[in-house]
Amino acid sequence: MTDGVMEATGNVDEDLIEQAYEALDGSSGAPAGADFDGAENGGETQNKSKWQKWKENFKRKGWILVFILPALIYVIIFCYVPMYGILTAFQDYMPGDQIIGSTTVWVGWKNFNTFFSNPNFWDYFVNTFLLCILGFIVGFPLPIIVALLLNSVRPKKVKKGLQILYYAPHFISLVVLVGMMKFMFGSEGLLDNLSKNLGGGGIDLFLKAEAFRPLFIFSGNWQDFGWSAIIYLAALSGVDPSLHEAAKVDGASRFRRIFSVDLPAILPTIVMLMILSVGNLMSCGYEKVLLMQTDGNIEQSEILSTYVYNFGLKGGQYGLGTAAGLFNSVINVVLLVIANFTSKKLSGNSMW
Amino acid sequence: MKKAIIGISVAVIWFVCVIAFAVAAADTSGAAHQFTVLTVKEDAVMNYNSMPVFKELAEETGIEVNWTYNTSAQYSNNIDPVAIKGIDAIYHSGFSNLKLYDYGRRGRIVAIDQYLTSMPNFSKILNERPDIKEALKSPDGHIYSLPRVEEMGLKAYPNILYLNKAWVEQLIDANELPAGVTLTKDDLKDGLDISRKDFKAILEKFNEKDFAGGGKTVPLAFVSGNWQGNESDLIASFGIPENREHKTIVDGKVTFTIEDEKWFEAVREISDWYQRGLIRSSAFTQTDNEFLARGQDGRYGAFYWWEKDTVIAKDKRDDYIIVLPLKDDDGNRYVGVSNELEVEKGECVILSSCADKEGLLSYFDKFFEPEYSAQLNYGSIKSGAFLSEKVNGKLIPNDDHGAQSADDFRMKNAPYGVVYLTQEVWESSVEMESRAKLRLENLEEYVKPYTYEGVTSIPNLNYTQDELNTLNTYEISLSNNIASWFTKAITDGTPTRDSWQNLLSTNRTSINTVLELNQRAYDRYVEAVETAQD
Repeated sequence: MTDGVMEATGNVDEDLIEQAYEALDGSSGAPAGADFDGAENGGETQNKSKWQKWKENFKRKGWILVFILPALIYVIIFCYVPMYGILTAFQDYMPGDQIIGSTTVWVGWKNFNTFFSNPNFWDYFVNTFLLCILGFIVGFPLPIIVALLLNSVRPKKVKKGLQILYYAPHFISLVVLVGMMKFMFGSEGLLDNLSKNLGGGGIDLFLKAEAFRPLFIFSGNWQDFGWSAIIYLAALSGVDPSLHEAAKVDGASRFRRIFSVDLPAILPTIVMLMILSVGNLMSCGYEKVLLMQTDGNIEQSEILSTYVYNFGLKGGQYGLGTAAGLFNSVINVVLLVIANFTSKKLSGNSMW
Repeated sequence: MKKAIIGISVAVIWFVCVIAFAVAAADTSGAAHQFTVLTVKEDAVMNYNSMPVFKELAEETGIEVNWTYNTSAQYSNNIDPVAIKGIDAIYHSGFSNLKLYDYGRRGRIVAIDQYLTSMPNFSKILNERPDIKEALKSPDGHIYSLPRVEEMGLKAYPNILYLNKAWVEQLIDANELPAGVTLTKDDLKDGLDISRKDFKAILEKFNEKDFAGGGKTVPLAFVSGNWQGNESDLIASFGIPENREHKTIVDGKVTFTIEDEKWFEAVREISDWYQRGLIRSSAFTQTDNEFLARGQDGRYGAFYWWEKDTVIAKDKRDDYIIVLPLKDDDGNRYVGVSNELEVEKGECVILSSCADKEGLLSYFDKFFEPEYSAQLNYGSIKSGAFLSEKVNGKLIPNDDHGAQSADDFRMKNAPYGVVYLTQEVWESSVEMESRAKLRLENLEEYVKPYTYEGVTSIPNLNYTQDELNTLNTYEISLSNNIASWFTKAITDGTPTRDSWQNLLSTNRTSINTVLELNQRAYDRYVEAVETAQD
């Protein structure tokens, strides 16, 4: 952005804020020009140091910051404060023990040793990785494609109707969803009975280890692709119609316009969401996995988060569970940093 | 504005007063010989505070216990029940070995062995039964909980095989018995003697004829891996002492059954049964409640459970007869022994915050007296669980509960929990319930005689802290791996010898470690029991 543009927009905003300020306060507005840019009333402000200017600004408009307070408090209380619980990964912890205090039993890296020396550790790791990465490969492009297609549907009613149809399954609870799947693919379910009546031996997909990942991923995507498409649709609605008109004049087909107009327009959104979901790559929720788990598919369905649940919470080994969870989070953070760095280098879009 | 301020201040003052009163009221309740005990109870069970047996106990001991409740759902969601304010003990605590030890060594629950002087009954039990004493100890040698002991000799044999006699009769009538099977209608009574081969042939006929109609027939039903009604005794018929943990003691040696060649053969054969549709996939996915619900209308050709009354609805119940353990090709019969224990460890714990531990423990000590044990387990004499007059000094159970079923009556009137009902008690002071007697007779007649020679259950073993940690590393993943291989081997084509060998070799370290630790602990157990008896 050039300075001129900066100033112009700065002015507009300044005026609006000024008006609001007056309306709220009832008192006379502050002298114009003492805004954050400080570019207008040159002579007066140039003598003041940056710090002084900042202070003056804060005095006048600092109250605006109050609006981010609730969000800040929320994040601190619910995200940062509980983090001290990570310390239990290095303790022999029972609920009721102090996390730092006289009753704390520190054990160093013992929980991690136990976790890594679990004979099935690599299976859990690979299972988690495959389940999540396959889910990502299938689940990430799907909403983008759906959003692009929905966006090129002309009749508004059809578009809205389809959109609702697509995102309605998002509101089904997981328990109900897995129940539905069992009715369809489980023992004495639709598929099972169909195959028996056609003279086959019956099919129970919940007992087949190979069927676990497809079932998990496709049911998950069926439930959520419409919901995830909403954010892309919102981004698409911001595309300037004149771009489309210009493309049409140049003789671009509809397909061509999707690739040359729509897609570039939502690319920053896509990249940002991709970085975010790479950061969550190793944490696909354990609830649905647990609901779908049977002895038949446990060789593929035991993942790190179900291990945390089974050993840590149910088995009462809280320290071990925390250690496993912490390991999972560390991998996620590393992935997030890598994804962010790569995208910064390749496309210039990044989170920080 | 002023009004609002006044309103708010009045509300605040009122609120503070209410809280102050509540706190004051709570403070006055700490009088001596009065305790608050948390128990886990469902709504269908009577309020403990009005149960006659507890009233009697209060009269006799002069100690008053105020029972408070959690439903089992509430209780299991509470991650730290010991921290609940204002309670002195937890009844039905259900703590595992690890949890007892973890709480115990942190001093949050009481080491009961330090108060034995005020517990004459319990200390007598510990002296007379070193095996129970050994089972109750934690790694540090302390006893942190009061046990439930109910020795009926039932739990070691959780499977009886039942066969749908009505369907076999239909086969006989239609002259369609499988080739080589010679059964007459007279043979069809409890204790049917049949070989595994013939049994399989009959199940195939059941499947083919679809007697239940609409494809609903389940030729052989069980709940894989459940504590009762599992497939263990089907596998045992191949000559291995199988149970659901695949782990048992043969002649004093802890053994994994999965290492036996015969176990693999059994799995291969059962896989064949599965492929032929004799066993349905539901056997591996259903819960015990689903199993019970599905069986009611008599669609099972045969099933494993330890009784038929809960499985089959009343009108179809007579259709089912008990089958002896299946004969193998050489005409031998075998059953394994389960590791379900008759001594349950974590039934009741006393919290360290309890002001008068001796008093509360002397109250719980009464629970071990035969007369109270019986009433706690079945319902009080006053409510009609037992006849009011003893015969030969024994309490006689009352089977007539009017419109109520025996199960409903017991569920409502009996608190269960800490009891001591051993073989000796059954012989001298309490007559067994008729249903339990019937079950026991069935087991004595049709199952127990075929126990694999030299096989015993694994008792409640004691481990050191290090051993516990090592076991935790290996045991759960090992049992997951076995369960996973087993289910896959049966439900997914014919298992190959290679895949079985592979299961054994990849889990070699786990198998050896678990065996070694179990053996070490078992040897210590045997030694401790022997020295105590000398």
